[in-house]
Amino acid sequence: MLKKDLMVRNPLRAVSDEHGYILPEGGLGAVVARAGVGKTALLVQLSLNSMLKGDKALHISLGDPVRKVSLWYREVFNNIGVHYHIEKIDELWNELLPQRFIMTFNIDGFSVPRLDERLTELADQNIFIPQMILIDGLPFNSETKRTDLHALKELSEKFNSHIWFTVRSHRHEEPDHDGLPVQIAEFADLLDVIIKLEPRNAAIGLKVLKGSGPISSQELSLDPATMLIKP
Amino acid sequence: MSIEINKIRNIGISAHIDSGKTTLTERILFYTQRIHAIHDVKGKDGVGATMDSMELEKERGITIASAATFCEWNKHEINIIDTPGHVDFTIEVERSLRVLDGAILVLCSVGGVQSQSITVDQQMKRYKVPCIAFINKCDRSGANPERVVEQLRDKLGHNAIAMQIPIGLEADHKGVVDLASMRAIYFDGENGEVLRYEDVPAELLELAQEKRDELIEQASNYCDELAEAFLEEQEISAAMILKALRKGVLTRSVTPVYMGSAYKNKGVQPLLDGAVQLLPNPSEVTNTALDLDNNEEQIELGSSNSDPTVALAFKLEDGQYGQLTYIRVYQGTLAKGDTLINTRSGKKIKIGRLVRMHASQMEDIDKIPAGYIGALFGIDCASGDTFTDPKLNYSMTSMFVPNPVISLAIIPKDNKAQINMSKALNRFSKEDPTFRTFVDEETNETIIEGMGELHLEVYVERMRREYNAEVTTGQPRVAYRETITKRAEFNYTHKKQTGGSGQYGRVAGYIEPYSEGEFEFINKVTGGAIPTQYISSCEKGFKAGLEKGALMEFPVTGIRVEINDGAAHAVDSSEMAFQAAARGAFQEAYKKAKPVIHEPIMKVVVETPTEFQGTVMGTINQRRGTILGAQDEGPMCVVESQVPLAEMFGYSTVLRSSTQGKAQFTMEFSNYRQVPQSITEELQKKKAEEGKKGAA
Repeated sequence: MLKKDLMVRNPLRAVSDEHGYILPEGGLGAVVARAGVGKTALLVQLSLNSMLKGDKALHISLGDPVRKVSLWYREVFNNIGVHYHIEKIDELWNELLPQRFIMTFNIDGFSVPRLDERLTELADQNIFIPQMILIDGLPFNSETKRTDLHALKELSEKFNSHIWFTVRSHRHEEPDHDGLPVQIAEFADLLDVIIKLEPRNAAIGLKVLKGSGPISSQELSLDPATMLIKP
Repeated sequence: MSIEINKIRNIGISAHIDSGKTTLTERILFYTQRIHAIHDVKGKDGVGATMDSMELEKERGITIASAATFCEWNKHEINIIDTPGHVDFTIEVERSLRVLDGAILVLCSVGGVQSQSITVDQQMKRYKVPCIAFINKCDRSGANPERVVEQLRDKLGHNAIAMQIPIGLEADHKGVVDLASMRAIYFDGENGEVLRYEDVPAELLELAQEKRDELIEQASNYCDELAEAFLEEQEISAAMILKALRKGVLTRSVTPVYMGSAYKNKGVQPLLDGAVQLLPNPSEVTNTALDLDNNEEQIELGSSNSDPTVALAFKLEDGQYGQLTYIRVYQGTLAKGDTLINTRSGKKIKIGRLVRMHASQMEDIDKIPAGYIGALFGIDCASGDTFTDPKLNYSMTSMFVPNPVISLAIIPKDNKAQINMSKALNRFSKEDPTFRTFVDEETNETIIEGMGELHLEVYVERMRREYNAEVTTGQPRVAYRETITKRAEFNYTHKKQTGGSGQYGRVAGYIEPYSEGEFEFINKVTGGAIPTQYISSCEKGFKAGLEKGALMEFPVTGIRVEINDGAAHAVDSSEMAFQAAARGAFQEAYKKAKPVIHEPIMKVVVETPTEFQGTVMGTINQRRGTILGAQDEGPMCVVESQVPLAEMFGYSTVLRSSTQGKAQFTMEFSNYRQVPQSITEELQKKKAEEGKKGAA
């Protein structure tokens, strides 16, 4: 199966615009869920989706080493290979690999100016200019500042990219009056799309808490066995 | 050898080049009365330090091969395994780290934590070796042990804690204050062999008390009793501190730091005390083997002398009396007259002479119990072989040996060099399974193959030094391969009639890409179209075709051949005719199957101070590399990438000059990948030029 076929059959296509994007250019999106529900798996699939399109994806992990993030990609990609009966999956993987860049930071060592500095350096040398940026593990707590989110938005605009990040919610916390998780309620105006993952019977549902366009009208879920998105 | 296992220490001394590792080892052997005179490393007196038994090491002042030597201290037996300080000798490093239970990390008090120390430390981290540190060269101008302790924390992430403070530094370095016992130690006598204990000098008392409190605070993390005693301001003994600290050392959560100057004979004996008090004995370390009957599943080994024997041959040496095999017994006992199985070859061996080594001298013994290191005579084996009781089928190391990725032609200078070279090559290929050698039938040159440029360089150098074999070398060559990308049919008839009996054979079928292995041959001929006795000739013919691909004459891999039809002649068909037919069929199909060239891709990991991250990525990018990721670890950053081996020649020089020598890299084989079209064209052009030159 060719890359193109794989894209056509990709369930994310149904929730993307005509250019294949869920977020507007320079936009921010959040994936909210409790620990262990599948935030990283979803993030990796968003990333692979953009790589299949030929875009470059920068995956930033705060806490996990490069090796672990690579494993996530290999695992999800192999599952996609089995699911869609792709032959020569290794060849396709080798073809995609240069389009991905993993950056890891200790949580304390991460800051938006630092990320900006790194990205500018990569772009100046023409090593890697991402169209998709995924940030896994960004802490959302009482110390999270609105200015940081603003800075991320500026960064996304500067590189004409799309930024997704994960937000960890907690079982004991009630959502606010708009149904938004408390961690991001106060930043919701800065976000273009908010997706919540919640376990439902035999699957994990993708509930769109904020967003417009195809994403707001389509029902998607994750298969808990493979963590792949299914319609 | 009646000593209990808790009195055994198998330790390594790890350090970067020039931090004084060999001098320290020499002093240890002197104080433990294994040697009776002290020599300098670089051989000013023509004798050289005892531990470096190889000429090359003596000259360069570095240690490449690991020798094990035995000594006694305070009723404890210590086996010192000399570990190579360079990461490129992966197999060698892996083996020596396998056999150690603990290590002393030597650092220079002037140079501090340098890039080489980072490499060495990473290796120990990878193998989870508990360690203590020794800050050497406190007598040198610019010595600053406190800064080195800080660097151990910041640069290496160790939870380092000083066990001592120096009494004077640089030219005034007189001794150390032991913080656990709060005593000053001075080293008297011609060679510092007489220890004089005194009260802590008044001017250091305040500092010593402060540092002692820090030490106790750290140690109390591992012992509630000590924490309580500390809070209640009770008297705390040295023994209590050491007992608590030991728990932290065994889990690698704390690194006690000793200091002194090995060259000036200061601080070595307290370090030895530290090694026996704090480093683990063999029974405190979990060792695992791979069960070959169970898909190489990991099995935890016991440390009892009565378990079935499992031992690892970790180093071979050519001695006066034949091959000497260094061995570590993990469980059970290895005794004279025992019969064991070499799990690699499946051969039975009978244990003859057993010895215990002290660098190049030896002592005969009757048995080697679990946890001990010794050496065997008269056993034919390779380095890394596992010997087990016939009941078991365990291996200490994975049976997987990667194929070499680089080759080099070597030409002996004269006849004598030729003979010596053969001896050397025979030895090296036994010692190191990743080092291989063969004679190229076309050029008649001897080719050596290995895992990297430096890997081969060291062996060439060793040939010169140890075997007096003067050789010149050709350009290193990357081990390219050819393979096909699509299925192609063949139907080939080999027919020759030149008087006398002719030759006839026809084979038909197809070839296709095969990813699970190098070659598969499937016979689906029915009805006797090809008589059964010629089928193996067909396979031979196809295999012969694999030796040189039609594209660039590189070996062909990843091919499945199926034959499903053919024809034979009652008189003219022969084994030779079918071999020729298969060769012809392969050539016919190969061109149609879109052959491509594959090249070895290396996993390159560069560790660099963060300020050079961009520069380092640039150097990788210029080499057709794919950056997999960048890991930010405070002041340091680790860049992981995949780079074609062909682009990596001379990379160490480039990296050094572009990062002020502060970055370092490791490289290991990752996989084979298709060469881009532009590079294939370049290779073809180069080959054509070489061909022209050859013809001229």
